[in-house]
Amino acid sequence: MITFNCTIQEGIVPEDIRPRLASELARISTGFVGGDPDEVSVHWIEIPHGFGFRGGRLSTTSAVRGEIPPGLQQETRVELMQSIQDMWMDVTGCTTDELVVSARDRRDN
Amino acid sequence: MPHYRCFIPQDALSFDQRQEIALAFTDIHCGSTGAPRSFVSVTFLETPEGQTHEHGEGYYLDGGNRAGRSEEVKQQLLSDLTGAFARVAGVSPGDIPGRITENPASWTMEGGFVLPEPGQEGPEWYAAAEAAAAAD
Repeated sequence: MITFNCTIQEGIVPEDIRPRLASELARISTGFVGGDPDEVSVHWIEIPHGFGFRGGRLSTTSAVRGEIPPGLQQETRVELMQSIQDMWMDVTGCTTDELVVSARDRRDN
Repeated sequence: MPHYRCFIPQDALSFDQRQEIALAFTDIHCGSTGAPRSFVSVTFLETPEGQTHEHGEGYYLDGGNRAGRSEEVKQQLLSDLTGAFARVAGVSPGDIPGRITENPASWTMEGGFVLPEPGQEGPEWYAAAEAAAAAD
């Protein structure tokens, strides 16, 4: 199972593009680690304006945190994160400094 | 990274208090680790009255950092953070439990770069991080 928790700031990622982002996350991640795109879970956590900060200032950063099956080689993990970053920037129009992408090994505990 | 999630009761903190805590966390984290300020994220999550959050109820500090720092550094960092949190919130430090979990730096891409392990940041990486922050 692959899951993504996407933490976004209010007003930064419009609701109407979230289904496309979710389907692209599913397509890209299963392309690297295998599995069925329909079984990828994508959760959205929208932080209200005034509740998210970065460097002490109001944040416009989105954090896309993926949990993937353990054991992916680092080179492939980097390619996965890079692909997600490229897609996210293309769809949302954000800059590299407004995005954090992680691909963590799933912990079964 | 780092990302500090502050669980707070609904309407417990004003915007000014939240910003003061976020600034204090940035100062403390960067003072302790030397990380660029622009990398410190702080999020506040309110819990409505009568409900619980994933760590229970009331205040809680849940931090996520790069792995590789000593236990002593981690404990001091957590103590300093909860102390600042409590001071601004006007509660006792004992009322703010917390934890700092860690993941390998190589599992995260930020500002277009895979994060280096703690202590492995070269001058090029700092220069790139500062340049990205300046362009923000």
